[in-house]
Amino acid sequence: MSSGVLRKLAGLLVLALVITYPLIPGLNDKIESMLGKKIGDSFPTIFIYGILALALNVVVGYTGLLHLGIAAFFGIGAFTTGILTVGQYPFQFGFLPVLVVSTMAAALLGGILCVPTLRLRGDYLALVTLGFGLITVTALRNLQEITGGMQTLNPIPPPKIPEILRCPLESLGLTMSWTEDYRLFYYLTLGYLLLVFVFLRNLEHSRLGRAWVALREDELAATCMGLNAARLKLLAFTLAAGLAGMAGSLYATKMTNTTEPTRFDFQLSCTILSCLILGGLGNRTGVLLGVFLVAGYDFLFAPAADAWLQRNDMNPNDKGYLKFSMWNLMIFGLALVLMMRFRSSGLLPKRRGTTTGKGA
Amino acid sequence: MTGLTGLVFASADTQFFINICITGLTTGFLYALIALGYTMVYGIVELINFAHGDLFMLGCFFALTLGGAVMALTGSPMATIALMLLATPVFCAFLNMLVDLTVYKALRTAPKLAPLVSAIGVSFVFMNIGLFWGGSQDVNFPGLIEERNLLAEDSGLQFTTTDLLVILVTAPVMIGLTIFVKSTSLGKAMRATAQNPVAAQLMGINVNRVIAATFLIGGALAGIASVIYGLKIKTIGYQMGFQNGLYAFTAAVLGGIGNIPGAVLGAIVIGMVYSLASAYIDARWATAMVFVILITILVFRPTGLLGARTREKV
Amino acid sequence: MNRLILAALAVAGLILPAVRAEDKKFEGPTSGTIKIVSSLPRTGSAKGQTDTIVNGIKLALEEEGNKVGDFKIVYEDLDDATAAAGQWDAQKETSNANQARDDADVMVYIGTYNSGAAKISMPILNKAGILMVSPANTSPSLTKPNFGEKDEPTRYRPSGKVNYFRVVPTDDVQGPVAAHWAKSMKIKSVYVLDDNEVYGKGIADLFRGECEGLKLKVLGQESIDVKAQEFKALMQKIKALKPGLIYFGGTTQTKAGQLAKDMVAAGITAPLMVPDGCYEQSMIESAGADVLNGRCYVTFGGLPPTELAKKGGKGKAFVDAYEKKFGKIPDEAYAVYGYECAKVALEAIRKAGVKNREAIVAAAGKLKKFEGALGTWSFDVNGDTDLKMMSGSKVVDGKFVFEKILEIKD
Repeated sequence: MSSGVLRKLAGLLVLALVITYPLIPGLNDKIESMLGKKIGDSFPTIFIYGILALALNVVVGYTGLLHLGIAAFFGIGAFTTGILTVGQYPFQFGFLPVLVVSTMAAALLGGILCVPTLRLRGDYLALVTLGFGLITVTALRNLQEITGGMQTLNPIPPPKIPEILRCPLESLGLTMSWTEDYRLFYYLTLGYLLLVFVFLRNLEHSRLGRAWVALREDELAATCMGLNAARLKLLAFTLAAGLAGMAGSLYATKMTNTTEPTRFDFQLSCTILSCLILGGLGNRTGVLLGVFLVAGYDFLFAPAADAWLQRNDMNPNDKGYLKFSMWNLMIFGLALVLMMRFRSSGLLPKRRGTTTGKGA
Repeated sequence: MTGLTGLVFASADTQFFINICITGLTTGFLYALIALGYTMVYGIVELINFAHGDLFMLGCFFALTLGGAVMALTGSPMATIALMLLATPVFCAFLNMLVDLTVYKALRTAPKLAPLVSAIGVSFVFMNIGLFWGGSQDVNFPGLIEERNLLAEDSGLQFTTTDLLVILVTAPVMIGLTIFVKSTSLGKAMRATAQNPVAAQLMGINVNRVIAATFLIGGALAGIASVIYGLKIKTIGYQMGFQNGLYAFTAAVLGGIGNIPGAVLGAIVIGMVYSLASAYIDARWATAMVFVILITILVFRPTGLLGARTREKV
Repeated sequence: MNRLILAALAVAGLILPAVRAEDKKFEGPTSGTIKIVSSLPRTGSAKGQTDTIVNGIKLALEEEGNKVGDFKIVYEDLDDATAAAGQWDAQKETSNANQARDDADVMVYIGTYNSGAAKISMPILNKAGILMVSPANTSPSLTKPNFGEKDEPTRYRPSGKVNYFRVVPTDDVQGPVAAHWAKSMKIKSVYVLDDNEVYGKGIADLFRGECEGLKLKVLGQESIDVKAQEFKALMQKIKALKPGLIYFGGTTQTKAGQLAKDMVAAGITAPLMVPDGCYEQSMIESAGADVLNGRCYVTFGGLPPTELAKKGGKGKAFVDAYEKKFGKIPDEAYAVYGYECAKVALEAIRKAGVKNREAIVAAAGKLKKFEGALGTWSFDVNGDTDLKMMSGSKVVDGKFVFEKILEIKD
């Protein structure tokens, strides 16, 4: 009981810190000048990866099926957003409708993919998702008449801020310019991350969430109890794809372009999977911790450390092995191997019982 | 541009077709060597060894480094090739066995996800080693064999020295492997373990030794593939493992995973599909087509072309 | 017709603010630190080339004692490539541009190397009003209307002003010149390949267009899959068509080396022609010197270092100073463009006299008759150099050997 309260307190504290961080005057500037590197701009990307990881967690964590192509849906979301907003196309919709359409488009594709894979299990399912991811990347790249191919869709305009929000935001000291103030994207992406987080928490406690867990623990027993395994898998895949698509839409908006299709390949899927494994499969907080560690290394620590080395002339010949950013594959790889060997449930393992009721 | 990528009707389109088939066949033979490593490991421990492709990649870098040193010492391309063909398989075999001992062995009884995720982890580690070994750019693998058409140029057909090399090396290896698995006692033990590890153990088979031997043989085959690949394709890079591994794994699944002749057949089909699609449809979609085939097979005939319908292990 | 009006409006829109800016007085500090950043692919096979560009930049800054007036000049070398991609990466380029935008000390952004990368950072830096000078982008669609989509290049100038300049001649010169060169070699037919990227596809299309005008038979054009490992089947297909020359619009990073190898393996004896994106030593390394020997032609905007030194003047002075500082003459051709970019940046800061992004951009736009290592040249209204020098080289014994200066046909 007390450990549960402690966890909750710690969680609230972290949440409060994340929300207030940009508002404490001079804190970010101070950290940036200490690191000698702009970091504010990286936080929104980390939050977006958080949504993506939570999406993957729906399939891998809740239902226990291995999904190796989540990045494809992320990409579909990004490119749908691109098509609906850039100047080449006649649409140029606003931010919210685009977000909804991108989510739906990715969810639809996720559902369609799922239908033929329902009867597959284990490794074969993983392979189909992997193959689908590769086909998607190839399609995004080759259909350049639609997607711009490797030329990307660019530039994607920032969202419009509704009039009612202007006043309160300005009173917090935020500038109303997406390009000058990183905090607008910070709060936008953080808001969506929290929304998804709370939505998934409620879902876990719902009938559907419990059914997924039952399916994961024992498919045979679950079907004997009258659960429709095919329908449950379909729902999980569709939901994961939709959330990933939403993350992709936010990502493209944040980046102001779709980025090249090859970004959404197997390696991104694997990186997100490492976040899950590292943090704790099935545990939302753990997943976010994993994202913070992995993406934090990738976007914050490695670039800052490399810039520091460059400034101090510690790496005059620009040697690869003296760059932190060159070691990330090794570190993620070792993390996966060691976690599987010694703590296969992750840094923050999911608590038994929390998903099956409030009894614990 | 799109209008011009259609079919090519040269005056000698049959010759062209045959040339494409030769290209596809040699590519297929190469994938077969890698596919055998997947299929044997999967057959015995039911693990998709994601790191196998990257093991092959490290083999390429080993061959390149070794080849460079031997070439500088002896100056003889033949001696260099011979040494590479001897040492690279040994390197890959022991590396593969080492990974099994340190990583997979402890996870034999763990849920299936654990060894699979570990394999992805090992593949990342291998890639990072490859990145430091060869850098992030494509690396040229010197053409130690002069590329020469063995058929008369006016026949319009092309079968080059490196094509011959591929066939000369891979065919005996595959025949030897088939005989080994069919008739030696270790081969029999392997088949027994694949069918039922518990029963095999009860019959007095040292299952751990059999698994280690499987990883050794699979690694050695990947090592041979590394040398052949380097000499034939002539470009290596730290990211090559993933794609080649995936093609090879697709081949193994296509042929019926766990089935040795099946893997070879599957690899030849994949090589052919890739070449024909590149030549007759659009090279940019060739990779996608290979995966469409993979998915179709997995969905409609998960046991592959030659795989027997066995009871699923639970 | 509509297009004409649009183009006219665009040009007017560009000129008008510039005219008004003549009278504008800019304010800002007249001393302190000014940061110049460069964003170039520092990982992957372009590294050899970008090393010399960075050296060129460092040399230019050092010659001025790392200061302009009372400003201290600080230089930071950003990488827009990742090891995973092996070449430039849109996310990395976006984050570099954002970093420059957010750092109030950054006044000049030297970059990019790849035209595709420029398309990413141009709108961001344009909004921020930072002076962007590219040493190597050659795609005309970045600055000139009627080359790309109909909203190019206005798409890259959301503020309506020109902040992007380049010191290198563009592909609307290079592509056609390559076609004329092929024609002068008595070549009858060509097969065109490209890598489907902004730069590669753009120049391949321009090359092909000129070939058709010159009645050089174009047997086909095809985009390659840059993720493929080999192109044997593709080369068999091309061989059956018996082209007199194969043109590849692409870079070393997009498999130029592998194409050359598979050409030879398929028994194609026709020569290969490539644009400046392959004009780097790593191209020869990746293909193998014997594969390219005597059969690979490359076009390049400007003169290679050896010729530059022969020409005398500031060009020779640059090559000598480079040799003195780094122990050898620049082994890649773009070094001088890096040097020239930095010189332009310093000159713009000097002319502006204040630490104000807008002032520095305006000062750069007014650079006329600039006497640099490349010769005397000016920026036109689009931000392009009016220098149009093209040279052709050939690979001989593992080296690019200068062949001739290519005439520019208007």
